[in-house]
Amino acid sequence: MSDRVFILPLWIRLWHWTNAALILLLTITGASLHFADPKLPLVPFELSARIHDIAGLALAALYLVFVVANVVTGNWWQYVPKPGGFVERCKNQIVFYCWGIFRGAPHPYPPTAEANFNSLQQIIYWIVMYLLMPILIVTGLIFLWPDFAPKRVMGMDGLVPVALLHYLTAVLIVSFMIAHIYLGTTGTKVSSLFKMMITGWHEH
Amino acid sequence: MNQPLNRRTVGAVLLLFAGLLATSPAGAQTKGAAPKDPETIAQIQAWNGECLACHTEAALHKPPRPGMDIKALSEALTDPAKYDRSNHAGMACKTCHVGGYRDWPHKGPAQAVPGKAETLDCNECHAQKSWHVDAQVAKSVHSKNLSEKFTCSTCHDPHVYQTAAKLKEPAKIVAQDNGMCLSCHQSDEKFAAFGGKLTPAKKRPDIDAIHAWLPNTKLHWNAVRCVECHTPVSPTRTLAISHEILGKDKAQRDCVTCHSQDSALRTGLYRHVAETESAELGFLNSAVLGNSYVIGATRNTHLDRFGLVLIGLVFAGVLGHGLIRILAALGRRSVK
Repeated sequence: MSDRVFILPLWIRLWHWTNAALILLLTITGASLHFADPKLPLVPFELSARIHDIAGLALAALYLVFVVANVVTGNWWQYVPKPGGFVERCKNQIVFYCWGIFRGAPHPYPPTAEANFNSLQQIIYWIVMYLLMPILIVTGLIFLWPDFAPKRVMGMDGLVPVALLHYLTAVLIVSFMIAHIYLGTTGTKVSSLFKMMITGWHEH
Repeated sequence: MNQPLNRRTVGAVLLLFAGLLATSPAGAQTKGAAPKDPETIAQIQAWNGECLACHTEAALHKPPRPGMDIKALSEALTDPAKYDRSNHAGMACKTCHVGGYRDWPHKGPAQAVPGKAETLDCNECHAQKSWHVDAQVAKSVHSKNLSEKFTCSTCHDPHVYQTAAKLKEPAKIVAQDNGMCLSCHQSDEKFAAFGGKLTPAKKRPDIDAIHAWLPNTKLHWNAVRCVECHTPVSPTRTLAISHEILGKDKAQRDCVTCHSQDSALRTGLYRHVAETESAELGFLNSAVLGNSYVIGATRNTHLDRFGLVLIGLVFAGVLGHGLIRILAALGRRSVK
């Protein structure tokens, strides 16, 4: 069994699936709130609001756990783009997705215990986890406690920019989620990477 | 010869009829309304000055006449500044306060000098409106429980009240109108004055506790009126808000009534500013934006489209990519 390597400790896997479940729940309820309309088949507004509040708070708490655990375990290093041909490695990865993958070429940078992510994953995961998620969570918390919002911005209620930023960030994260789930099918077998996220073992 | 005379007779009868109409309640919608000519204005100010010499907070502390019934006076005070902003501003006190009120000392059943002092009912002037309102009030939770004790002025203090059309600004409308509800519903003393007389006596429910289900309760109360949810859709075109106040069993609890593209706020609280709104920058219900961001109602159509198109493109992109992968894999298999 030399063709497999253990790369994901239990806490990362638990965090990942809890995070995934919460994001999915928040996407469904968030869309039901934002596009609220009695004519559309959405989750009822009152129920959506309750679930979105609770799941949002849970996501904020989980994010805090994620940051602390990353610092404590040193896992944060995985997200840092490494110098020495970073752009070149990203380009190779993009070329693989646009061409090599269709010809059955091997992954250019398969994960190792030291480097879980390829360069493209590093930069995108870094943006999602350390830029978009904080914006999403902070704007969400202000939504929950609107007294913290500015009173007025450009002649409008101070919640308007908060709401727009929350919506835009959510759109980007949902777009990432769709691409992320799809790229999960690009392992050795369609199910390999999903299995890896459960067992922690990556099959080459 | 007879014809011109007949015409004159018909004309005179018509004039007489018009005169009668003008003095009937329907024709008296503007009875006592604030005049425009300076002479009458000065006359009214002089009359009202006589009343306000006693009926203000200041006079209570420094009674202008000896031997006044201070307790009775303390229950009949007016704030001239508020009155001058009210819808009845400019009207003479004695337009409504008639009979024994017109002289001093006042004559009345409770006064030292016996006589009849009376205040006219609202429908003396507001006949048409009262006709609609009375039918709605009769179905209201207040009428069912309190009937005779509950009149227009229980909520609408005629010395203070301003209509929404006059206030225009939603924040001011909300502050005034919710103040009318909360003056009883947040005061054990005032609530007991009405509810305490019921059998069994009704204790004032904690207003925060019974609305705990409503997210950001305080924010809602500062942004919308109680009657937004506690009245049905008005059956009368000329009255934007019904006077049928609904108890908690029948009150609106469907959030999307306001939190949606076709928000009821447009035709309710914001109807006086909604007329002037423009769909600037692509916001729906942009008239509301100056005061509140209302989830579901004030979203931006450009950003909505951008978001949906982006997510749609990503979805289409991965579907296309997956399809090509499947076709390419089938192709490689057939080559082998």
